[in-house]
Amino acid sequence: MMKNLEMRFSGAGGQGLQLCAKIFSRALTGEGYHVSMSQSYEPTSRGGLSRADIVASDGTPDYPLTTDLNTVLILDQAAADASEGIIRDDALVIVDPRRTKNPPKGKFKVIELPLSETAISLGSERVTNVVATGVIAELSDDIELEIVERALRQSSPKKFLDMNMDALQAGVDLARGVKSA
Amino acid sequence: MTLQSSGQETINLQGNHACALGAVAAGCRFYAGYPITPSSEVAERLAKELPKVGGVFLQMEDEIASIAATLGASMGGVKAMTATSGPGFSLKQENLGYGMGAEIPCVVVNVMRGGPSTGMPTRPAQGDLMQARWGTHGDHPVIALTPGSVEEIYQQTARAFALSEKLRIPVIVLFDESLGHLVETVALPDVTDYEKTVRKWATGKPEDYKPYKADKDGVPPMARPGDGYRVHTTGLTVDESGWPTQKSAEVEPVMKRLLGKVALNNDLVESFEDMDCEDAEVVVVALGVVGRAARKAVRELRASGVKAGLFRPITLWPFPTKSFRKLTKKAKHFVVAEMNAGQLILEIGAAKTGRQSVTGLNRFDGVPISPSQIKQSVKEVLGHE
Repeated sequence: MMKNLEMRFSGAGGQGLQLCAKIFSRALTGEGYHVSMSQSYEPTSRGGLSRADIVASDGTPDYPLTTDLNTVLILDQAAADASEGIIRDDALVIVDPRRTKNPPKGKFKVIELPLSETAISLGSERVTNVVATGVIAELSDDIELEIVERALRQSSPKKFLDMNMDALQAGVDLARGVKSA
Repeated sequence: MTLQSSGQETINLQGNHACALGAVAAGCRFYAGYPITPSSEVAERLAKELPKVGGVFLQMEDEIASIAATLGASMGGVKAMTATSGPGFSLKQENLGYGMGAEIPCVVVNVMRGGPSTGMPTRPAQGDLMQARWGTHGDHPVIALTPGSVEEIYQQTARAFALSEKLRIPVIVLFDESLGHLVETVALPDVTDYEKTVRKWATGKPEDYKPYKADKDGVPPMARPGDGYRVHTTGLTVDESGWPTQKSAEVEPVMKRLLGKVALNNDLVESFEDMDCEDAEVVVVALGVVGRAARKAVRELRASGVKAGLFRPITLWPFPTKSFRKLTKKAKHFVVAEMNAGQLILEIGAAKTGRQSVTGLNRFDGVPISPSQIKQSVKEVLGHE
Protein backbone atom coordinates (compact mmCIF):
# COMPACT_ATOMS: atom_id res chain seq x y z
CA MET A 1 0.00 0.00 0.00
CA MET A 2 1.46 3.29 -1.06
CA LYS A 3 1.47 6.16 1.36
CA ASN A 4 -0.54 9.26 0.40
CA LEU A 5 1.74 12.21 -0.24
CA GLU A 6 0.72 15.85 -0.23
CA MET A 7 3.25 18.40 -1.43
CA ARG A 8 3.06 22.16 -1.90
CA PHE A 9 5.48 24.37 -3.83
CA SER A 10 4.71 27.97 -2.95
CA GLY A 11 6.14 31.43 -3.39
CA ALA A 12 5.61 34.37 -5.71
CA GLY A 13 4.42 34.21 -9.30
CA GLY A 14 7.32 33.65 -11.70
CA GLN A 15 9.49 31.52 -9.39
CA GLY A 16 8.99 28.32 -11.34
CA LEU A 17 6.75 26.63 -8.79
CA GLN A 18 4.53 24.99 -11.41
CA LEU A 19 7.62 23.48 -13.00
CA CYS A 20 8.72 22.13 -9.63
CA ALA A 21 5.37 20.40 -9.25
CA LYS A 22 5.54 19.08 -12.81
CA ILE A 23 8.91 17.47 -12.16
CA PHE A 24 7.69 15.77 -9.00
CA SER A 25 4.44 14.76 -10.73
CA ARG A 26 6.42 13.12 -13.46
CA ALA A 27 8.67 11.37 -10.96
CA LEU A 28 5.77 10.15 -8.81
CA THR A 29 3.77 8.94 -11.82
CA GLY A 30 6.82 6.94 -12.82
CA GLU A 31 6.76 5.38 -9.35
CA GLY A 32 3.22 4.16 -9.94
CA TYR A 33 1.39 6.86 -8.06
CA HIS A 34 -1.83 8.45 -9.22
CA VAL A 35 -1.06 12.17 -9.24
CA SER A 36 -3.43 15.11 -8.81
CA MET A 37 -1.72 18.44 -9.43
CA SER A 38 -3.53 21.67 -8.70
CA GLN A 39 -2.49 25.28 -8.74
CA SER A 40 -3.39 28.74 -7.70
CA TYR A 41 -2.05 32.00 -9.04
CA GLU A 42 -2.92 35.65 -9.38
CA PRO A 43 -4.09 37.23 -12.65
CA THR A 44 -0.69 38.91 -12.99
CA SER A 45 2.19 37.08 -14.73
CA ARG A 46 4.66 37.87 -11.93
CA GLY A 47 4.33 38.43 -8.19
CA GLY A 48 1.55 37.64 -5.75
CA LEU A 49 0.96 34.24 -4.18
CA SER A 50 1.55 31.34 -6.49
CA ARG A 51 1.41 27.71 -5.50
CA ALA A 52 1.36 24.29 -7.09
CA ASP A 53 0.15 21.27 -5.13
CA ILE A 54 0.45 17.53 -5.58
CA VAL A 55 -1.69 14.81 -4.07
CA ALA A 56 -0.07 11.45 -4.84
CA SER A 57 -2.06 8.35 -4.00
CA ASP A 58 -2.71 4.73 -4.80
CA GLY A 59 -5.49 5.14 -7.38
CA THR A 60 -7.84 8.07 -7.97
CA PRO A 61 -8.32 9.97 -4.70
CA ASP A 62 -11.78 10.99 -3.49
CA TYR A 63 -10.57 14.56 -3.14
CA PRO A 64 -7.81 15.77 -5.47
CA LEU A 65 -6.84 18.94 -3.57
CA THR A 66 -4.48 19.20 -0.60
CA THR A 67 -5.79 19.12 2.96
CA ASP A 68 -2.87 17.65 4.91
CA LEU A 69 0.54 18.70 3.61
CA ASN A 70 3.60 16.62 4.37
CA THR A 71 6.05 18.61 2.26
CA VAL A 72 5.95 22.38 1.90
CA LEU A 73 8.33 24.64 -0.02
CA ILE A 74 8.17 28.38 0.66
CA LEU A 75 10.24 30.62 -1.60
CA ASP A 76 8.68 33.99 -0.80
CA GLN A 77 6.97 35.84 2.02
CA ALA A 78 3.84 35.99 -0.18
CA ALA A 79 3.37 32.29 0.54
CA ALA A 80 4.28 32.26 4.25
CA ASP A 81 0.70 32.18 5.55
CA ALA A 82 -0.93 30.40 2.63
CA SER A 83 -0.77 26.94 4.16
CA GLU A 84 -1.96 27.80 7.64
CA GLY A 85 -3.85 24.96 9.29
CA ILE A 86 -3.11 22.30 6.70
CA ILE A 87 0.54 21.45 7.47
CA ARG A 88 1.01 18.14 9.28
CA ASP A 89 3.00 18.12 12.50
CA ASP A 90 5.54 15.75 10.96
CA ALA A 91 5.81 17.76 7.74
CA LEU A 92 8.98 18.86 6.07
CA VAL A 93 8.82 22.66 5.62
CA ILE A 94 11.63 24.14 3.54
CA VAL A 95 12.03 27.90 3.49
CA ASP A 96 14.26 30.35 1.64
CA PRO A 97 14.96 32.92 4.40
CA ARG A 98 16.31 35.53 1.97
CA ARG A 99 12.83 36.22 0.67
CA THR A 100 10.79 34.85 3.58
CA LYS A 101 11.39 36.94 6.69
CA ASN A 102 8.57 35.44 8.75
CA PRO A 103 8.18 31.73 8.06
CA PRO A 104 5.12 29.86 9.41
CA LYS A 105 5.27 28.54 12.97
CA GLY A 106 3.95 25.24 14.23
CA LYS A 107 4.88 21.82 15.52
CA PHE A 108 6.38 20.98 12.14
CA LYS A 109 10.07 21.32 11.45
CA VAL A 110 11.08 24.42 9.45
CA ILE A 111 14.36 24.07 7.58
CA GLU A 112 15.82 27.34 6.34
CA LEU A 113 18.27 26.98 3.47
CA PRO A 114 19.95 29.56 1.21
CA LEU A 115 18.13 28.33 -1.90
CA SER A 116 18.11 31.54 -3.93
CA GLU A 117 21.66 32.48 -2.83
CA THR A 118 22.86 29.10 -4.04
CA ALA A 119 21.06 29.65 -7.34
CA ILE A 120 22.62 33.10 -7.72
CA SER A 121 26.08 31.65 -7.09
CA LEU A 122 25.40 29.18 -9.90
CA GLY A 123 24.67 32.09 -12.24
CA SER A 124 20.90 32.62 -12.11
CA GLU A 125 18.29 33.16 -9.42
CA ARG A 126 15.88 31.54 -11.85
CA VAL A 127 17.12 28.06 -10.91
CA THR A 128 16.10 28.51 -7.26
CA ASN A 129 13.23 26.13 -7.96
CA VAL A 130 15.62 23.46 -9.18
CA VAL A 131 17.89 23.88 -6.14
CA ALA A 132 14.77 23.39 -4.02
CA THR A 133 13.87 20.31 -6.07
CA GLY A 134 17.25 18.81 -5.16
CA VAL A 135 16.73 19.58 -1.49
CA ILE A 136 13.28 17.96 -1.38
CA ALA A 137 14.36 14.92 -3.41
CA GLU A 138 17.26 14.32 -1.02
CA LEU A 139 15.35 14.93 2.21
CA SER A 140 12.18 13.05 1.31
CA ASP A 141 11.93 9.41 2.34
CA ASP A 142 9.24 8.76 -0.22
CA ILE A 143 10.92 9.78 -3.47
CA GLU A 144 14.12 8.44 -4.98
CA LEU A 145 16.60 11.10 -6.06
CA GLU A 146 17.47 9.35 -9.29
CA ILE A 147 13.83 9.33 -10.39
CA VAL A 148 13.54 13.05 -9.76
CA GLU A 149 16.79 13.54 -11.68
CA ARG A 150 15.40 11.61 -14.63
CA ALA A 151 12.17 13.61 -14.56
CA LEU A 152 14.15 16.87 -14.50
CA ARG A 153 16.25 15.70 -17.41
CA GLN A 154 13.09 14.94 -19.39
CA SER A 155 11.57 18.31 -18.53
CA SER A 156 14.65 20.42 -19.31
CA PRO A 157 15.22 22.20 -22.62
CA LYS A 158 18.72 21.35 -23.90
CA LYS A 159 20.26 24.75 -23.32
CA PHE A 160 19.28 24.73 -19.64
CA LEU A 161 20.09 21.08 -18.97
CA ASP A 162 23.61 21.59 -17.59
CA MET A 163 22.60 24.46 -15.34
CA ASN A 164 19.57 22.53 -14.09
CA MET A 165 21.68 19.48 -13.27
CA ASP A 166 24.18 21.68 -11.41
CA ALA A 167 21.33 23.32 -9.50
CA LEU A 168 19.81 19.94 -8.60
CA GLN A 169 23.16 18.73 -7.29
CA ALA A 170 23.68 21.95 -5.32
CA GLY A 171 20.29 21.34 -3.69
CA VAL A 172 21.24 17.76 -2.86
CA ASP A 173 24.47 19.04 -1.26
CA LEU A 174 22.56 21.60 0.82
CA ALA A 175 20.26 18.84 2.03
CA ARG A 176 23.15 16.55 2.90
CA GLY A 177 24.53 19.38 5.02
CA VAL A 178 21.25 19.43 6.96
CA LYS A 179 21.27 15.65 7.37
CA SER A 180 24.81 15.52 8.72
CA ALA A 181 24.31 18.54 11.00
CA MET B 1 -5.75 -1.04 -7.64
CA THR B 2 -3.72 1.68 -9.29
CA LEU B 3 -4.54 2.74 -12.83
CA GLN B 4 -1.04 1.77 -13.83
CA SER B 5 -1.31 -1.76 -12.47
CA SER B 6 -4.62 -2.26 -14.28
CA GLY B 7 -2.61 -2.28 -17.49
CA GLN B 8 -4.41 0.67 -19.07
CA GLU B 9 -2.32 3.37 -20.62
CA THR B 10 -2.34 6.43 -18.39
CA ILE B 11 -1.38 10.05 -18.89
CA ASN B 12 -1.19 13.11 -16.70
CA LEU B 13 -3.79 15.39 -18.21
CA GLN B 14 -5.20 18.82 -17.34
CA GLY B 15 -8.98 19.24 -17.05
CA ASN B 16 -9.20 21.85 -19.80
CA HIS B 17 -7.09 19.68 -22.09
CA ALA B 18 -9.32 16.70 -21.28
CA CYS B 19 -12.27 18.82 -22.38
CA ALA B 20 -10.55 19.55 -25.71
CA LEU B 21 -9.57 15.91 -26.25
CA GLY B 22 -13.02 14.63 -25.28
CA ALA B 23 -14.53 16.97 -27.85
CA VAL B 24 -12.23 15.76 -30.63
CA ALA B 25 -12.83 12.13 -29.67
CA ALA B 26 -16.59 12.72 -29.89
CA GLY B 27 -16.17 14.01 -33.43
CA CYS B 28 -16.02 17.78 -32.85
CA ARG B 29 -14.56 19.32 -35.99
CA PHE B 30 -15.24 23.01 -35.40
CA TYR B 31 -14.34 25.33 -32.56
CA ALA B 32 -14.84 29.07 -32.39
CA GLY B 33 -13.89 30.92 -29.26
CA TYR B 34 -12.40 33.94 -27.59
CA PRO B 35 -9.80 33.13 -24.92
CA ILE B 36 -10.68 33.86 -21.32
CA THR B 37 -9.19 32.68 -18.03
CA PRO B 38 -9.66 29.98 -16.74
CA SER B 39 -10.90 28.30 -19.93
CA SER B 40 -8.15 29.34 -22.37
CA GLU B 41 -6.38 25.96 -22.38
CA VAL B 42 -9.48 24.40 -23.98
CA ALA B 43 -9.01 26.69 -26.99
CA GLU B 44 -5.23 26.36 -26.90
CA ARG B 45 -5.38 22.57 -27.09
CA LEU B 46 -8.06 22.56 -29.79
CA ALA B 47 -5.96 24.94 -31.89
CA LYS B 48 -3.37 22.16 -31.92
CA GLU B 49 -5.67 19.15 -32.22
CA LEU B 50 -8.35 20.22 -34.70
CA PRO B 51 -6.08 20.84 -37.71
CA LYS B 52 -4.66 17.31 -37.23
CA VAL B 53 -8.08 15.77 -37.86
CA GLY B 54 -9.17 18.12 -40.64
CA GLY B 55 -11.17 20.31 -38.29
CA VAL B 56 -11.43 24.08 -38.09
CA PHE B 57 -10.25 26.29 -35.23
CA LEU B 58 -11.29 29.93 -35.29
CA GLN B 59 -10.38 32.62 -32.82
CA MET B 60 -13.23 35.09 -33.15
CA GLU B 61 -13.41 38.78 -32.27
CA ASP B 62 -15.52 38.13 -29.18
CA GLU B 63 -17.73 35.63 -27.37
CA ILE B 64 -20.93 36.59 -29.20
CA ALA B 65 -19.34 35.96 -32.59
CA SER B 66 -17.89 32.72 -31.21
CA ILE B 67 -21.23 31.14 -30.41
CA ALA B 68 -22.75 32.52 -33.59
CA ALA B 69 -20.00 30.83 -35.61
CA THR B 70 -20.45 27.64 -33.61
CA LEU B 71 -24.18 27.54 -34.37
CA GLY B 72 -23.52 28.33 -38.02
CA ALA B 73 -20.98 25.52 -38.30
CA SER B 74 -23.44 23.10 -36.76
CA MET B 75 -26.14 24.13 -39.24
CA GLY B 76 -23.50 23.41 -41.85
CA GLY B 77 -23.47 19.82 -40.62
CA VAL B 78 -20.48 19.45 -38.29
CA LYS B 79 -20.20 18.87 -34.56
CA ALA B 80 -19.19 22.25 -33.11
CA MET B 81 -18.18 23.74 -29.78
CA THR B 82 -17.26 26.95 -28.01
CA ALA B 83 -15.74 27.40 -24.54
CA THR B 84 -15.62 30.36 -22.21
CA SER B 85 -15.88 31.55 -18.61
CA GLY B 86 -18.35 33.72 -16.64
CA PRO B 87 -18.29 37.06 -18.50
CA GLY B 88 -18.14 35.26 -21.85
CA PHE B 89 -20.96 32.93 -20.84
CA SER B 90 -23.09 36.01 -20.13
CA LEU B 91 -22.37 37.35 -23.60
CA LYS B 92 -23.34 34.06 -25.20
CA GLN B 93 -26.78 33.87 -23.61
CA GLU B 94 -28.82 35.43 -26.43
CA ASN B 95 -27.42 33.13 -29.10
CA LEU B 96 -27.59 30.18 -26.74
CA GLY B 97 -31.34 30.77 -26.66
CA TYR B 98 -31.33 30.99 -30.45
CA GLY B 99 -29.72 27.56 -30.57
CA MET B 100 -32.29 26.16 -28.13
CA GLY B 101 -35.22 27.65 -30.04
CA ALA B 102 -33.99 26.83 -33.54
CA GLU B 103 -32.82 23.42 -32.24
CA ILE B 104 -29.20 23.58 -33.31
CA PRO B 105 -26.89 20.98 -31.73
CA CYS B 106 -23.64 22.30 -30.21
CA VAL B 107 -21.63 22.23 -27.00
CA VAL B 108 -20.96 25.28 -24.84
CA VAL B 109 -18.33 24.89 -22.11
CA ASN B 110 -18.21 27.28 -19.16
CA VAL B 111 -15.19 26.96 -16.86
CA MET B 112 -16.55 28.82 -13.86
CA ARG B 113 -14.62 31.52 -12.01
CA GLY B 114 -15.53 33.94 -9.23
CA GLY B 115 -18.19 36.53 -10.14
CA PRO B 116 -20.20 38.70 -10.62
CA SER B 117 -18.80 40.53 -13.63
CA THR B 118 -15.08 39.97 -14.17
CA GLY B 119 -14.88 38.85 -10.52
CA MET B 120 -11.92 36.63 -9.73
CA PRO B 121 -10.48 35.29 -12.99
CA THR B 122 -8.11 32.73 -11.45
CA ARG B 123 -10.31 31.49 -8.63
CA PRO B 124 -12.87 28.67 -8.70
CA ALA B 125 -16.61 29.16 -8.19
CA GLN B 126 -19.91 27.46 -8.93
CA GLY B 127 -21.81 30.69 -9.35
CA ASP B 128 -23.24 29.98 -12.80
CA LEU B 129 -25.49 27.01 -11.99
CA MET B 130 -28.71 28.98 -12.25
CA GLN B 131 -27.39 31.00 -15.17
CA ALA B 132 -26.92 27.73 -17.04
CA ARG B 133 -30.59 26.93 -16.38
CA TRP B 134 -32.20 30.33 -16.83
CA GLY B 135 -29.57 32.60 -18.36
CA THR B 136 -31.26 33.07 -21.69
CA HIS B 137 -34.72 34.62 -21.84
CA GLY B 138 -37.99 32.83 -22.35
CA ASP B 139 -39.00 29.25 -21.61
CA HIS B 140 -36.45 26.89 -23.06
CA PRO B 141 -35.24 23.32 -22.81
CA VAL B 142 -31.77 22.83 -21.34
CA ILE B 143 -29.16 20.20 -20.65
CA ALA B 144 -26.18 21.03 -18.42
CA LEU B 145 -23.54 18.53 -17.35
CA THR B 146 -21.22 18.99 -14.34
CA PRO B 147 -18.26 16.59 -14.38
CA GLY B 148 -16.22 16.10 -11.19
CA SER B 149 -12.81 14.89 -12.34
CA VAL B 150 -10.42 15.17 -15.26
CA GLU B 151 -11.55 11.79 -16.55
CA GLU B 152 -15.17 12.82 -16.23
CA ILE B 153 -14.52 16.10 -18.06
CA TYR B 154 -13.24 14.05 -21.00
CA GLN B 155 -16.17 11.66 -20.84
CA GLN B 156 -18.93 14.20 -20.22
CA THR B 157 -17.69 16.59 -22.90
CA ALA B 158 -17.89 13.68 -25.35
CA ARG B 159 -21.32 12.77 -24.00
CA ALA B 160 -22.45 16.39 -24.37
CA PHE B 161 -21.92 16.07 -28.12
CA ALA B 162 -23.92 12.85 -28.28
CA LEU B 163 -26.82 14.37 -26.32
CA SER B 164 -26.77 17.55 -28.38
CA GLU B 165 -26.85 15.58 -31.63
CA LYS B 166 -29.51 13.18 -30.45
CA LEU B 167 -31.84 15.85 -29.06
CA ARG B 168 -30.93 18.77 -31.37
CA ILE B 169 -30.07 21.04 -28.47
CA PRO B 170 -27.07 23.07 -27.27
CA VAL B 171 -25.58 21.24 -24.27
CA ILE B 172 -23.75 23.16 -21.57
CA VAL B 173 -20.72 21.66 -19.79
CA LEU B 174 -19.97 23.35 -16.47
CA PHE B 175 -16.93 22.88 -14.30
CA ASP B 176 -14.94 25.23 -12.10
CA GLU B 177 -11.42 26.65 -12.35
CA SER B 178 -9.94 24.14 -9.90
CA LEU B 179 -11.04 21.23 -12.12
CA GLY B 180 -10.15 23.04 -15.34
CA HIS B 181 -6.59 23.52 -14.12
CA LEU B 182 -6.31 20.23 -12.23
CA VAL B 183 -3.90 17.69 -13.67
CA GLU B 184 -4.77 14.07 -12.89
CA THR B 185 -3.39 10.69 -13.87
CA VAL B 186 -6.09 9.27 -16.10
CA ALA B 187 -6.84 6.37 -18.38
CA LEU B 188 -9.06 7.89 -21.05
CA PRO B 189 -12.41 6.11 -21.29
CA ASP B 190 -13.74 4.80 -24.59
CA VAL B 191 -16.19 7.27 -26.12
CA THR B 192 -16.70 5.57 -29.50
CA ASP B 193 -20.46 5.39 -28.94
CA TYR B 194 -20.61 9.14 -28.43
CA GLU B 195 -18.56 9.67 -31.55
CA LYS B 196 -20.93 7.49 -33.54
CA THR B 197 -23.96 9.42 -32.33
CA VAL B 198 -24.90 11.82 -35.10
CA ARG B 199 -28.12 13.81 -35.56
CA LYS B 200 -30.92 12.36 -37.60
CA TRP B 201 -30.66 13.59 -41.17
CA ALA B 202 -33.76 14.35 -43.19
CA THR B 203 -34.85 11.62 -45.62
CA GLY B 204 -37.70 11.37 -48.07
CA LYS B 205 -38.91 13.76 -50.76
CA PRO B 206 -37.53 17.27 -50.34
CA GLU B 207 -40.92 18.78 -51.22
CA ASP B 208 -42.55 16.96 -48.27
CA TYR B 209 -39.87 17.93 -45.75
CA LYS B 210 -40.96 19.95 -42.73
CA PRO B 211 -37.91 21.10 -40.75
CA TYR B 212 -39.72 21.14 -37.40
CA LYS B 213 -41.94 18.09 -37.72
CA ALA B 214 -40.73 15.82 -34.96
CA ASP B 215 -40.54 12.06 -34.76
CA LYS B 216 -41.86 10.13 -31.76
CA ASP B 217 -38.76 11.04 -29.75
CA GLY B 218 -39.77 14.70 -29.97
CA VAL B 219 -36.84 15.54 -32.22
CA PRO B 220 -37.18 16.66 -35.85
CA PRO B 221 -34.65 15.33 -38.40
CA MET B 222 -32.26 17.99 -39.65
CA ALA B 223 -31.54 18.83 -43.27
CA ARG B 224 -27.99 18.16 -44.36
CA PRO B 225 -26.65 20.96 -46.55
CA GLY B 226 -26.33 19.69 -50.10
CA ASP B 227 -29.04 17.07 -49.78
CA GLY B 228 -31.57 19.31 -51.52
CA TYR B 229 -33.85 20.19 -48.60
CA ARG B 230 -35.01 23.75 -48.09
CA VAL B 231 -34.86 25.15 -44.57
CA HIS B 232 -35.65 28.52 -43.06
CA THR B 233 -33.95 29.08 -39.71
CA THR B 234 -35.01 31.91 -37.42
CA GLY B 235 -35.20 32.89 -33.78
CA LEU B 236 -38.91 33.58 -34.18
CA THR B 237 -41.41 31.00 -33.02
CA VAL B 238 -42.13 28.73 -35.98
CA ASP B 239 -44.63 26.11 -37.03
CA GLU B 240 -43.59 22.72 -38.42
CA SER B 241 -42.71 24.27 -41.77
CA GLY B 242 -40.10 26.49 -40.14
CA TRP B 243 -41.92 29.73 -40.95
CA PRO B 244 -42.84 32.19 -38.18
CA THR B 245 -46.19 31.99 -36.52
CA GLN B 246 -47.94 33.67 -33.61
CA LYS B 247 -51.22 31.76 -33.90
CA SER B 248 -51.87 30.21 -30.50
CA ALA B 249 -53.23 27.00 -32.00
CA GLU B 250 -49.94 26.50 -33.82
CA VAL B 251 -47.62 27.89 -31.16
CA GLU B 252 -48.81 25.75 -28.28
CA PRO B 253 -48.06 22.30 -29.73
CA VAL B 254 -44.71 23.47 -31.08
CA MET B 255 -43.68 24.92 -27.71
CA LYS B 256 -44.93 21.88 -25.80
CA ARG B 257 -42.84 19.61 -27.96
CA LEU B 258 -39.78 21.87 -27.69
CA LEU B 259 -40.03 22.15 -23.90
CA GLY B 260 -40.85 18.48 -23.47
CA LYS B 261 -38.24 16.81 -25.63
CA VAL B 262 -35.57 16.57 -22.93
CA ALA B 263 -37.96 15.00 -20.40
CA LEU B 264 -39.14 12.58 -23.11
CA ASN B 265 -35.56 11.32 -23.37
CA ASN B 266 -34.79 11.41 -19.65
CA ASP B 267 -33.24 7.95 -19.63
CA LEU B 268 -30.51 9.19 -21.93
CA VAL B 269 -30.03 12.50 -20.18
CA GLU B 270 -30.09 11.67 -16.46
CA SER B 271 -26.81 10.92 -14.70
CA PHE B 272 -25.57 11.15 -11.13
CA GLU B 273 -23.38 9.47 -8.52
CA ASP B 274 -24.89 8.21 -5.29
CA MET B 275 -23.04 6.74 -2.37
CA ASP B 276 -24.56 5.27 0.81
CA CYS B 277 -27.86 7.12 0.32
CA GLU B 278 -30.29 4.27 1.11
CA ASP B 279 -29.96 4.33 4.90
CA ALA B 280 -28.42 7.79 5.27
CA GLU B 281 -29.75 10.18 7.88
CA VAL B 282 -27.93 13.05 6.24
CA VAL B 283 -27.45 13.23 2.50
CA VAL B 284 -24.84 15.67 1.24
CA VAL B 285 -25.68 17.11 -2.16
CA ALA B 286 -22.72 18.55 -4.04
CA LEU B 287 -21.34 18.64 -7.56
CA GLY B 288 -18.04 19.08 -9.37
CA VAL B 289 -14.98 19.34 -7.16
CA VAL B 290 -17.19 19.87 -4.10
CA GLY B 291 -18.80 16.52 -4.89
CA ARG B 292 -15.40 14.96 -4.44
CA ALA B 293 -14.83 16.74 -1.14
CA ALA B 294 -18.22 15.38 -0.11
CA ARG B 295 -17.26 11.85 -1.15
CA LYS B 296 -14.21 11.99 1.10
CA ALA B 297 -16.26 13.48 3.93
CA VAL B 298 -19.00 10.85 3.63
CA ARG B 299 -16.49 8.02 3.57
CA GLU B 300 -14.82 9.35 6.73
CA LEU B 301 -18.15 10.00 8.46
CA ARG B 302 -19.29 6.46 7.71
CA ALA B 303 -16.04 5.12 9.12
CA SER B 304 -16.82 6.94 12.37
CA GLY B 305 -20.36 5.58 12.48
CA VAL B 306 -22.29 8.58 11.13
CA LYS B 307 -25.01 7.64 8.65
CA ALA B 308 -24.11 10.02 5.85
CA GLY B 309 -24.67 9.70 2.10
CA LEU B 310 -23.77 11.53 -1.07
CA PHE B 311 -25.86 12.59 -4.03
CA ARG B 312 -23.77 14.16 -6.80
CA PRO B 313 -25.65 15.27 -9.89
CA ILE B 314 -23.61 14.84 -13.07
CA THR B 315 -26.53 16.02 -15.17
CA LEU B 316 -27.39 19.20 -13.29
CA TRP B 317 -30.15 20.32 -15.68
CA PRO B 318 -32.66 18.91 -15.85
CA PHE B 319 -32.08 17.97 -12.21
CA PRO B 320 -32.51 14.21 -11.69
CA THR B 321 -35.47 14.82 -9.37
CA LYS B 322 -37.16 11.40 -9.56
CA SER B 323 -34.00 9.46 -8.79
CA PHE B 324 -33.05 11.93 -6.07
CA ARG B 325 -36.44 11.45 -4.38
CA LYS B 326 -36.28 7.70 -4.65
CA LEU B 327 -32.75 7.44 -3.26
CA THR B 328 -33.18 9.87 -0.39
CA LYS B 329 -36.60 8.76 0.87
CA LYS B 330 -35.24 7.88 4.29
CA ALA B 331 -33.05 10.94 4.77
CA LYS B 332 -33.85 13.33 7.58
CA HIS B 333 -31.50 16.10 6.56
CA PHE B 334 -29.87 17.48 3.44
CA VAL B 335 -26.62 19.43 3.44
CA VAL B 336 -26.14 21.25 0.15
CA ALA B 337 -22.48 22.21 -0.29
CA GLU B 338 -21.73 24.59 -3.13
CA MET B 339 -19.21 27.27 -4.09
CA ASN B 340 -21.79 30.04 -4.37
CA ALA B 341 -24.21 31.84 -2.08
CA GLY B 342 -26.97 29.24 -2.51
CA GLN B 343 -28.21 28.04 -5.92
CA LEU B 344 -28.38 24.24 -5.96
CA ILE B 345 -30.13 24.46 -2.58
CA LEU B 346 -33.13 26.04 -4.30
CA GLU B 347 -33.52 22.96 -6.47
CA ILE B 348 -33.15 20.62 -3.49
CA GLY B 349 -35.84 22.55 -1.65
CA ALA B 350 -38.11 21.97 -4.63
CA ALA B 351 -37.11 18.35 -5.21
CA LYS B 352 -37.44 16.97 -1.68
CA THR B 353 -40.72 15.30 -0.81
CA GLY B 354 -40.68 15.06 2.95
CA ARG B 355 -40.06 17.34 5.87
CA GLN B 356 -36.30 17.01 5.71
CA SER B 357 -34.26 19.97 6.84
CA VAL B 358 -32.13 21.61 4.16
CA THR B 359 -28.91 23.31 5.24
CA GLY B 360 -26.59 25.21 2.93
CA LEU B 361 -22.81 25.10 3.18
CA ASN B 362 -21.58 27.94 1.02
CA ARG B 363 -18.29 29.50 0.06
CA PHE B 364 -17.86 32.28 -2.43
CA ASP B 365 -14.38 33.50 -1.51
CA GLY B 366 -12.58 31.74 -4.33
CA VAL B 367 -11.59 28.77 -2.18
CA PRO B 368 -13.02 25.25 -2.62
CA ILE B 369 -15.10 23.73 0.18
CA SER B 370 -12.97 21.17 2.04
CA PRO B 371 -13.95 17.69 3.21
CA SER B 372 -13.53 18.77 6.85
CA GLN B 373 -15.98 21.66 6.39
CA ILE B 374 -18.55 19.22 5.03
CA LYS B 375 -17.98 16.81 7.93
CA GLN B 376 -18.41 19.66 10.37
CA SER B 377 -21.62 20.74 8.70
CA VAL B 378 -23.08 17.22 8.79
CA LYS B 379 -22.21 16.88 12.48
CA GLU B 380 -23.83 20.23 13.28
CA VAL B 381 -26.99 19.20 11.48
CA LEU B 382 -27.11 15.99 13.51
CA GLY B 383 -26.50 17.95 16.69
CA HIS B 384 -23.18 16.28 17.48
CA GLU B 385 -20.48 18.38 19.14
